[in-house]
Amino acid sequence: MTTVITYNSINVGDAMPIFTSDPVTRTHMVRYAGASGDFNPLHHDDTFVKIFGMPRVISHGMLIMGITGRAVTEWIDDKYIRKFGVRFAGMTEPVDLHDFENTKQRATITVTGKVVEKFEEAGEKRIRCEIQAADGLGAVKITGTFVAALP
Amino acid sequence: MADKTKIGTEFPPYTFEVEKGKIAEFAMAISQKESKDQVKPIYWDSAAAKAAGYGDIVPPPTFQTCFALWGGGGLMPILQALGINLGRLLHGEEEYEYLTPIHPGDIMKGQSKVVNMYDKEKKDKPGKFMEFTVLETEIKNQRGELVIRARTTLVER
Repeated sequence: MTTVITYNSINVGDAMPIFTSDPVTRTHMVRYAGASGDFNPLHHDDTFVKIFGMPRVISHGMLIMGITGRAVTEWIDDKYIRKFGVRFAGMTEPVDLHDFENTKQRATITVTGKVVEKFEEAGEKRIRCEIQAADGLGAVKITGTFVAALP
Repeated sequence: MADKTKIGTEFPPYTFEVEKGKIAEFAMAISQKESKDQVKPIYWDSAAAKAAGYGDIVPPPTFQTCFALWGGGGLMPILQALGINLGRLLHGEEEYEYLTPIHPGDIMKGQSKVVNMYDKEKKDKPGKFMEFTVLETEIKNQRGELVIRARTTLVER
């Protein structure tokens, strides 16, 4: 469970806890395709991506946003989230299971963030945080912000 | 160049009924888990959600992505209407504003419109342009309350 974070106990510059995903596998992507309804073959069919000269399938950007959202809601309860927005900065390739050690870093997403503003809006005490998702090699996948209303 | 006459185009509304099983499935997918008891109970256990201060089970913050994909025709009709080439398409940005909680049994009605189109010259290829299309989607519930306002930026490279 997440601990309750209050407006008065949090300060500009405070970092959110660093979150690290499991290496994204093709099975994770298939599960996400079914859950979301996004069956673009770019995300599951190696024979399709070869048409475009790509070596392998790539993850749904929205799966990476979903993982980023999970990082946020592991820290601050879902009910306090008011806005969540991201810019997609790079594609994510899944781990190759037959070459796990050499490919796991590119598929492991680490989410970091920090509080950049405390303000009042719509009668609520809110914080704005900047967040980033990057892989284990340092390649940035997502930059974004979220706004939470805190007790 | 972006066809700016398409600004203001509205797409047909779609409807999606929020089911408990779909929320749990989605939560497992974004949590990279194979069983629902490995994800937060607010995503699948009504009593736990209520005890945690929610009206009922709630979905994770990106759940609404499946409203259009499962409830409507998905992205393809929009791409066709706008003349966007799938092979050049990138998802540029996605932004949500949460206005009313979502619970199982709610009926979501979404409608998207084109609110902006613009070009940006490629830094590495002068004279060549990236084309941007910004869609705004309003999602209301069965009571007519605005639940989520979403902005999606599509990029043709």
